[in-house]
Formats: sequence, structure tokens, C-alpha cells
Amino acid sequence: MVVSERAPTSTFSCQRCGASLAFEGVRTQTCPYCASPNFVERPPAADQPDPAFCVTFAGDAEWARTRFERWLGSRSMFADSALKRATVEDMRGVYLPAYLYSAVARSDYTAQIGEHYTETETYTTTDAQGNSKTETRTVTRTEYRPLSGRHIGYVTDVIVSASAGLPNEELARVEPFDLRQVRRFSPALVSGWIHEEFSRDADACKRMSRGEAVDEVGARLRRFMPGDSYSDLVWRTTVEWESLDPMLVPVWVFAVRYREDKPPFRVVINGQTGRIGGRAPLSWLKITIACVLALAVIAAVIYLVHQGQQP
Amino acid sequence: MTACSRCATPVEDGDLRCAICALPVPIAVAAVSRAPRAQILRCTDCAAAVAFDPAVQAPRCAFCGATMKVEHPVDPIETAQLRIPFIVDRETATASLRGWLGKRGFFAPKTLRDEAVLESFTPLCWAGWLVNATAAVAWTADSDADSHRSAWAPHAGQVSLGFHNIVVPASRGLDHGECRLLIPYYDLSQVVAVGRVDGEPHAGPADARVDGAMDGAMDGAMDGAMDGAMDGAMDGAMIESFDAQRSAARKQVQESIELTAKVRVEEHIPGRRFRNVHVACLLEGQTTDRVAFPAWVLAYRYRDVAYRAIVHGQRPEVVFGSSPKDWKKIALVMFGIAALIAVIAAIVWFARRGG
Ligand SMILES: [Zn+2]
Ligand SMILES: [Zn+2]
Repeated sequence: MVVSERAPTSTFSCQRCGASLAFEGVRTQTCPYCASPNFVERPPAADQPDPAFCVTFAGDAEWARTRFERWLGSRSMFADSALKRATVEDMRGVYLPAYLYSAVARSDYTAQIGEHYTETETYTTTDAQGNSKTETRTVTRTEYRPLSGRHIGYVTDVIVSASAGLPNEELARVEPFDLRQVRRFSPALVSGWIHEEFSRDADACKRMSRGEAVDEVGARLRRFMPGDSYSDLVWRTTVEWESLDPMLVPVWVFAVRYREDKPPFRVVINGQTGRIGGRAPLSWLKITIACVLALAVIAAVIYLVHQGQQP
Repeated sequence: MTACSRCATPVEDGDLRCAICALPVPIAVAAVSRAPRAQILRCTDCAAAVAFDPAVQAPRCAFCGATMKVEHPVDPIETAQLRIPFIVDRETATASLRGWLGKRGFFAPKTLRDEAVLESFTPLCWAGWLVNATAAVAWTADSDADSHRSAWAPHAGQVSLGFHNIVVPASRGLDHGECRLLIPYYDLSQVVAVGRVDGEPHAGPADARVDGAMDGAMDGAMDGAMDGAMDGAMDGAMIESFDAQRSAARKQVQESIELTAKVRVEEHIPGRRFRNVHVACLLEGQTTDRVAFPAWVLAYRYRDVAYRAIVHGQRPEVVFGSSPKDWKKIALVMFGIAALIAVIAAIVWFARRGG
């Protein structure tokens, strides 16, 4: 078995029955002999920090399965019809390692701001008798004026995945977490659940967080622009006072098999809010048929219109 | 109380992160020096291993059902620690209301002042936040200054603003519009700690009763307050609990500060007319006090219809509320105006014909 260098395996004995337990990329393990949930206690290290915060699971496996089935039942007409007979190969509630980031963001921006104005223009037209005549109309035009300035603000609540197994994009699809409910980490909150080890280093996570912070600033800047419209918005953001804290967030991970010849696909559910991120496989056959039908209808309409115009 | 090192905002009890900038509050970490080992969490009742149960948000023992005590996130309904004392007593409030009823204008029933029956006098200490902060505020707006073909030209800038004693209403009993009418007339320098009673007219010993209570406590407390008022004192003046939990409150306060900032930056925008004002605030050192503001809520009845009026708890001349209209008078005046218009029209018509 290949274990990545970032997910070390360590072996400890069960504190209840003494059986040897292998902790492979996780910090919690339920003993197969006495069913006791064990938790690894150790001094924090740079690559294995102790989480500072934890968002807890809001429901049990039943809760997650109900949401999953509702989601599966509501897939679009283009989803592969084999999904109806899909089976859940594996489902587990995981406390996912993540980093919580916040910073002060100062940005310099430039943009072209569009301001509307109206103009009266004259135009010539031909009336029913074939005489040309001049008429006026008002038209709305836009003048673009350059604007540059600064934007400031705290960027908070940025969460990035520190698990090599679950890419940040997949976590982003089930965000946000309600951080008003965040708790200080304690082994009591994860006992009996899978506590995955941190497998992405803090520096990489900080860079990812900065990227998300800059995106957030961009979203704010787009709402910040005056005028009737804008274009060419560019900004340069510098962050100060960054904080980066290890934390755990609850996710349910489903492995779903829907065809023998296809690998199972993954569905992730936010363990706190129930939000689902997953892409149901599409049926290319269905999509092709739909496209062909649509083209046929368009062709028929064009043909009929053309026929109607014949004298 | 310690302050956040990033934004100098005081950190409150139970906060894991700063309310303004979300910087985590540092804690002393108990260093684990022992060699790494596996550990299990045992039930305090039967010593069986326990696992976290989402239903109770705490570890629960599968054998004996006992729940382990763990630290829960703090998100209380807030209560006022400070209050502004009542200056207007019941008699003055009643007199103010009578005076106000007598000045309801031409369209009010003539007998309103004498026939209105006061049904209840409720001394109410409505809940609000008193906020102080400084902020760097970046703004953008369109204004008429430097405009070319369009009437508008874009502008941007940055100013540093101080927010001093901004009152943000959080009342359940008064609507926020009513609160805003009262706010300008409070003397904020008189603020005292809740529980202190000296210097107040007719104040009894167990004055300000603090409701740690949640929803529904309002009705009960209202009754109590009414009884208190019947005794002719402000004993038991109800101190409202706030209309939101702490986490929601913070959002409300921040939105309120942004709205204030939007108005305050207007003087920094060049030109005379402007639109599309946007602000981005970097708040620092925000302190939020929870304050109870005094007001009399008077319910009166005139010819079987109930009305409500509010008398300021510190300035008896500040009275507002609903009052009846004399529809007969209004109809008469409308008729009079119509008749007048008809007469004028007739005169004009005759004059034209004659000329
Ligand atoms: Zn065991
Ligand atoms: Zn702060």
C-alpha cells in the first residue's frame, strides 16, 4: 500500500484493550476489537498542527443520507439514467483539516466608469407615400471616465482545504460554514468520528487563502463602482495582518457507483449546513439526442417560413 | 477586558474571534510534552468510551446515555448593562399627552382632549446599542462636479471618520422609526449602570428589573410594568432584552455604521449633487455598550378606538403617536373647497362671456 509522505502512519495501542491500531492519515480510530474511539494525543508539530477551531457535525449518517437521496432524486433530465440504480459504495463523515484565514486588504484600483447621457439626433425616414422626411429622437449614450482609488476592508472567514484528498475547489462547492457556531477544538468534539490529518502545508494554504481573499476583494470592488456601468476594472491588493489558523470542518463524503464500467463519483455534503457539492455524470447520448431534436425543429421552422414567403 | 491586537476592539467574554476583524483570540496552550499515544474519552458515569453525538452537540455515552459537559459557543440574547434614567414621571407624561391631544390641529375631534381615556402608562426602557469607533472609509460616488457631457462624473476618495455615540435601536416594543424619533433627545452623559437608582423621581428599591428572559418574557414584563405604573412609581420599569442574539446584533451594528458612514462621507464628495455613494470601512477600536433608553408608552381610547402615543422619558415635550381624525370636519372642508372652486370657475366663465 502506498502511503503518501504527508500522511504518516503511526501505530499506537488501544487504550481500552491494548490492541495495536494503525493511524493512517487520521488522528482518530475506532478499535475493531472493543469499538472504543481512540484519539492520538501528541505535541503539535509544524506539519501536524493541533486544530484551533472546529465546526461540528449537525446530524448523523441518517441525516446525510436523506440529503444525498433528495439530491440524487432531483438531478436534471440529462443525468445518466443509470443513476436511478446507483449504489452508495462508501459514505463517511470526516472532520476535514482546513485553514481559517483573515487579513486586512488594501487595494488600488483603476476602472473606466460609464455615465449615461441623452442626445437628440435627427434621422430621415420614408413615409407610406414614399416621401422622405426628417424626424428627431432621443438616444442614450455612455461616456467613459477614468477613475482610480483605494479600497480597504477586512477579509474574514476564508476557509481552504488542508487535505490532499479533497481539493479546495470541492470544499468551496459546499461552503459556506456558519462560523458563528465555531467552537474551540477539543478531542471531545471529534471522538468517534474520522479526524483526518493535515496533509497540505500551511504555506501552500496561505497562498490559496490569499487568492480567495483577492477574489473576494474583486467581488466587493464590482459592487463599489459608481456610474451606470464600468469596464476595465483592474486592482492590486496587498494584504496585511494575516492570520492563519488550523481548524476542522465537517463533511460527508459519498462514493457512488452507477455503472460497472465507470469509476465511482464523489459527492460531498457540508456536515453543518447540508449543502451538497457534486456533479452527477451526464448522459452524452441524451444530450446528443436533445441537440439533434432542437436542430431539427429549427430547420423545420426555417423551412416553413421560407415556404410561406414563396409567391 | 483585552483588546484585539489587529483592530483594537475590546474582546468580549466567550468570543473566540474578534467581532470586527475576526482575528482569533489567542489562548494559552497547554503544552503536551508526553510522548505521543492513543487516548480515549471516557464516560464520567460508567467509564465506557464516548463519541460525539450531533443530536446533543456533545459526547454521549452509548451505554448509559450520559452527556459529557463541553464548552458551547456563546451566543446570548443581550441585556442592557447601562441605562439612561427616567426624568419624566407619570404625572408629567400624562400632562404631556393631554397637551399633545389638545394640539392635534383643526382636523382632530374637538372633544379629543377631554374625552380620551388613558388606558395604560407603561414605562419602557427600550434596548439599543451605543457604538463608538473610528474607521478609515474609502468611498466612491457620482457627482455633478467635473461633469462633461453626462450630468454625472465619478469620484473616489478616502477619509478617516470617528463615530461617536451612534445609537442603533434593538427594541422589540418600539419600531425602529419610533426609536429614531426619540434618539436625538437623550442626554447620553447621564448614562448609569443598570441597578443604580439614585437621583430618579419616585424610584423604588428594586428598580430596573433585568429580564434575562427570551421571547415571550415581554408580555409578562409589560404587565409587571403596568402594575408598577399604577403605583405611581417607576418601579419595575421594564428593561427590554435585545431583539437579536449577539452574533446577529454585530451584523446589525456594522450595517448601521456603514449607513452612517454613507451619510458622513457626503461632505467630502465634491460638487452639489451626488448619487451611487458606496463606502468600504475599516473599523477600529469599536466599543459597543448595551443601553436601555427610557420612554413612556401610553395607550388611550377615544370613542372605542385604541391609539398609542409615546412620550420621551427625559424630555416631556417630545410626544408622538397616532390620534383620531374628525371625518365630518374633513368632509366639510373638502366640500367647502369644491364649492369655492365652483364659484371661482363660474365667475371666470361669466367674466369671459361678458368680455
Ligand atoms: Zn480496543
Ligand atoms: Zn479585531
